[in-house]
Amino acid sequence: MKDQKDISKQIRREALKKNWTLFKQSKLGMIGLYIVIFFFFLSILQPILFATGLWNKGVYDPVVGYSEQFQEFLVVECPTEYPTEKYDSITDCPGRNEINVRTLFYSDAEVGDTIIQNLQPAPPSPKHILGTDSLGRDIFSQIMEGSQVAFILGLLSATLGVGISTLLGTIAAFFGGKVDAYLMRQSDLILMLPTLPLLFIISAFAELQVWHLAVVLGTIGGLGGSVITIKSQALQVKVKPFVDSARITGGSQMNILFSHVLPNVAPLALLFMVFSVTGAIASESVLSFLGLLNIDMSWGLMIYLAQVEGFIFSGMKFWWLILPAGLSVTFLTGGFYLVGRGLDEVFNPRLRNR
Amino acid sequence: MNILEVRNLNMSYKTIDGMVEAVKNVSFSVKEGESFGIVGESGCGKTSVAMSLLQLQADNGEITSGEIIFDGKDIVGLNESELREIRWSGISIVFQGAMNSWNPVVKIGEQIREAIREHYPNKTKDENSKKIIELFDIVGLDQSIMDRFPHELSGGMKQRAVIALALSCDPKLIIADEPTTALDVVIQDQILNEIRKVQQVLGLSLIYISHDIAVIAEMTDNMAVMYAGRIVELGPTKDIFSNPKHAYTKSLLESTPSVVGDKVKLKSLEGEPPSLINKESGCSFAPRCPYREDTCNPSLDMKLVEVGIDHYVDICSAGKSQ
Amino acid sequence: MLKYVFKRTYQLIIVFFLFLVSSYVLFDSIPGNAFQNLLLNPQLPPEAYEQVIKLYGLDKPLSERVVLYIQNFFRGDFGYSYKYYPKTPIELIAERLPRTLMLFAMVNIIAFYTGFLIGKILAWRRGSKSETWITVTSVFSYTVFYPWFALMMLWLFGYRLGWLPIGKFLYPEKWYDAPFDSDVVFMSMIKFVAIASFIQVLAYVFTRNIESLSLRRNIRSVAFLILLIGSYLFWNSGNQNILRPYAMDIAYHMILPIFTVTVVAFAGTALLTRTTMMEVMKDDFILTARAKGLSQKRIRDRHAARNALLPVVTSFIFTIVTIIDGSVLTETIFSWPGMGQLILDSVLQEDIPVAMATFSFIGVFALIAHFIADISYAYLDPRIRIQNQG
Repeated sequence: MKDQKDISKQIRREALKKNWTLFKQSKLGMIGLYIVIFFFFLSILQPILFATGLWNKGVYDPVVGYSEQFQEFLVVECPTEYPTEKYDSITDCPGRNEINVRTLFYSDAEVGDTIIQNLQPAPPSPKHILGTDSLGRDIFSQIMEGSQVAFILGLLSATLGVGISTLLGTIAAFFGGKVDAYLMRQSDLILMLPTLPLLFIISAFAELQVWHLAVVLGTIGGLGGSVITIKSQALQVKVKPFVDSARITGGSQMNILFSHVLPNVAPLALLFMVFSVTGAIASESVLSFLGLLNIDMSWGLMIYLAQVEGFIFSGMKFWWLILPAGLSVTFLTGGFYLVGRGLDEVFNPRLRNR
Repeated sequence: MNILEVRNLNMSYKTIDGMVEAVKNVSFSVKEGESFGIVGESGCGKTSVAMSLLQLQADNGEITSGEIIFDGKDIVGLNESELREIRWSGISIVFQGAMNSWNPVVKIGEQIREAIREHYPNKTKDENSKKIIELFDIVGLDQSIMDRFPHELSGGMKQRAVIALALSCDPKLIIADEPTTALDVVIQDQILNEIRKVQQVLGLSLIYISHDIAVIAEMTDNMAVMYAGRIVELGPTKDIFSNPKHAYTKSLLESTPSVVGDKVKLKSLEGEPPSLINKESGCSFAPRCPYREDTCNPSLDMKLVEVGIDHYVDICSAGKSQ
Repeated sequence: MLKYVFKRTYQLIIVFFLFLVSSYVLFDSIPGNAFQNLLLNPQLPPEAYEQVIKLYGLDKPLSERVVLYIQNFFRGDFGYSYKYYPKTPIELIAERLPRTLMLFAMVNIIAFYTGFLIGKILAWRRGSKSETWITVTSVFSYTVFYPWFALMMLWLFGYRLGWLPIGKFLYPEKWYDAPFDSDVVFMSMIKFVAIASFIQVLAYVFTRNIESLSLRRNIRSVAFLILLIGSYLFWNSGNQNILRPYAMDIAYHMILPIFTVTVVAFAGTALLTRTTMMEVMKDDFILTARAKGLSQKRIRDRHAARNALLPVVTSFIFTIVTIIDGSVLTETIFSWPGMGQLILDSVLQEDIPVAMATFSFIGVFALIAHFIADISYAYLDPRIRIQNQG
């Protein structure tokens, strides 16, 4: 029996290698993988930088860090009508190195003086690669923090969701009858509920933190439509002859479930998981963007702050407040999606190039 | 008059594991009105030959060298639009597992019409309908089939319809690649009769591909035996059956049970066909050859040599005694 | 067969019932209620609050309220909106629904059409360099962070370039002396679009059986031209002439939201089409089509795409189900007062009758959409059609 275990291990190892070769062939999958690895690298970079002391926590912490950037400003008075000689529109005044005298409450400076003020939010500089936000916090550090949040939340909720739907789907396929009918109706019910409003309701009566959100998203996702798909996949396996032969040779129900049905459903479940991650990250970002999430820092929150503080319509003047966060969400979710597509090619030979 | 001449055709597939040489140096010819058979085991390259004739090989397949002369013209170097003219109206094909040849969401009649419209765009709808009814008559199908969807027909009916489809543009040459493999023996017999009747009535040339040597015996005038991408024996069917020269051909014949005569123990060949990835020169059959001797030179390149009237055999076996 | 239909319908009713109950309980569990502001008003005695609560029956226990609500629901009585009293939820929905429909009907049609086209082409050109990059771009278009993207679009086209209006669906100044409501204009616009598409679909269906391809195409183009001319005449005639500038105003405001959502929506369809096409392309009948000497374009469109249509159309119908869900974000960002905004507001303000009504609407909508999906699938796939007939 020892030989058998070794043999099956070896077979599994070779199968993994073969799958990896197939995955490598998929251009989409590889691009996605690189992106995901890049963001993963970002998320572990931050604690490393702190731990090794390369970054001073006081300055670079994404939530409570503070960085002072003093700069000389010319005091000007902004006109009431535009355009003028100096300024084309209201957003041009005050300019980069100027400050409107009307915003100076605690100073006696006059128009024409130069004063030294703290520049927040500060544009990118060697010290802060992506600049700082209006509270003096380093943007790059925030991006990395957001990356951590995205990964944790995404993977947690995806695993939970897939776990639930795989379990329920296989049970529905296997036991049929009333159990099946009940589970299908339950999925219908969940499908009928509109997701976003539902999340609003939940966030209205419970201050959600990252963990809570992950659990909620995972549960809703797991109980929803994916149960139906997994069930139909499990059904296909159930009618295959090898399941019957397993039963004849005395395999218990549990045994059949785990060693036969689950491995065949696994590819589909894996695919679901990857696509769930994209949904989870997107949902979190949307909720943070609307200010409904009790979370210290995330990409969605960064954009929320930018909007609330009125920087959105400043356009390219404060691009570092808006672009990095938005692009990060876009690319990380896109990356996971591409990985999912790559996996699709591994599991479905019809989709391969040759 | 040779309707088709294949000279030194080489075709390979690009795969992750390397270049697979599926067709090696294949040459044969088919006269007008003749029925030509290609026999060999699975993977010997016979389907690849068929696909090459119409340049329908998969995306990773490529004809590396050789000529295919159809009706006096070499079709290897032609571009896509020129090839499209030849397809179906010059050469048509009945695929293996032809039952899946039908688009499930389009009616049978419409799919045949489509082919006719492509090559004869000026015919009217009535003319086309009449033609289809004629074709159905030949293959023994009722004309109501025209308005049916593929899934409404049985396997045998679909197969007949495929033959009708293959005839729709009056081709000069039809390739039948294992057309009856998926059918039961009774239907198989019927289909074979249909094909033979069609061929005789319309004077078409036919290339019949099969792994079933008995069918080849019944259906063909001349034949080729393929192994590992090469032709090992080529000649008139009667000659090859009464006087097989190559060791492989002999093994094929010996492994087919006969209904008449004494019960004889079947001899099967040991071993497996070689991998087509390794570019080995020399006799690819040597490892399995039951007649292998020390004098048999495994590195001798394979080449066809005449041993009878139009009867060619690979050089290795030519020197052998019976 | 009939037995199955009955069983399904009865299950459906139970599910819907559970849906109503769970929605109500869910809404009820949000702390606070719509009238708490009354308590904050120093000029009102606390009894005023009590009175209002009693008036709306909010002092009764939850179980009683649920039963009452269900009873009233099936009687057709949905109560009155708390916030927009004396409007009933039905009135509010009737007011808002056309606006959302207009926007998202246009988006879905355009997105579906372009998505299918692009997905079809992508799958056919598999492996070429351009295919990879276009597909990757489509993926990012699909996963783009929508609020951020919408804000960027708003900023770019509304603010920076000033080409399109920033939010809302009309310029209030232009409508001060309008002889009618925006709803009237909306309704006529919707009617117009509906009739136009219906005529186009009819033209398509009637020309299906024409033998010659070029003739078929010509007739369809002619039909489309006639439609264009007819539209022009329609909008310049009598009554419509007065409506026209207002309709134009609304249409002008629709451009940006439609464009923004379409960019995100088409990518989903394109990617699904691409995957489905890739699977279909490996089928044997595609090889036969090639052997028949058909042109690449014809094989791609008539054979491969036609078979890929089935799953894509099904997903399209399911997308329609999520229209209202998806519209929440768009309508909030673009200040487009439609169903999505209604739901969001009613949930946040605890306007329970409206919230319940909209939720129920979504539920019914989902059920109907599932039903339509089943039918259209049967229509498109002759295998299922024959089964049901025979």
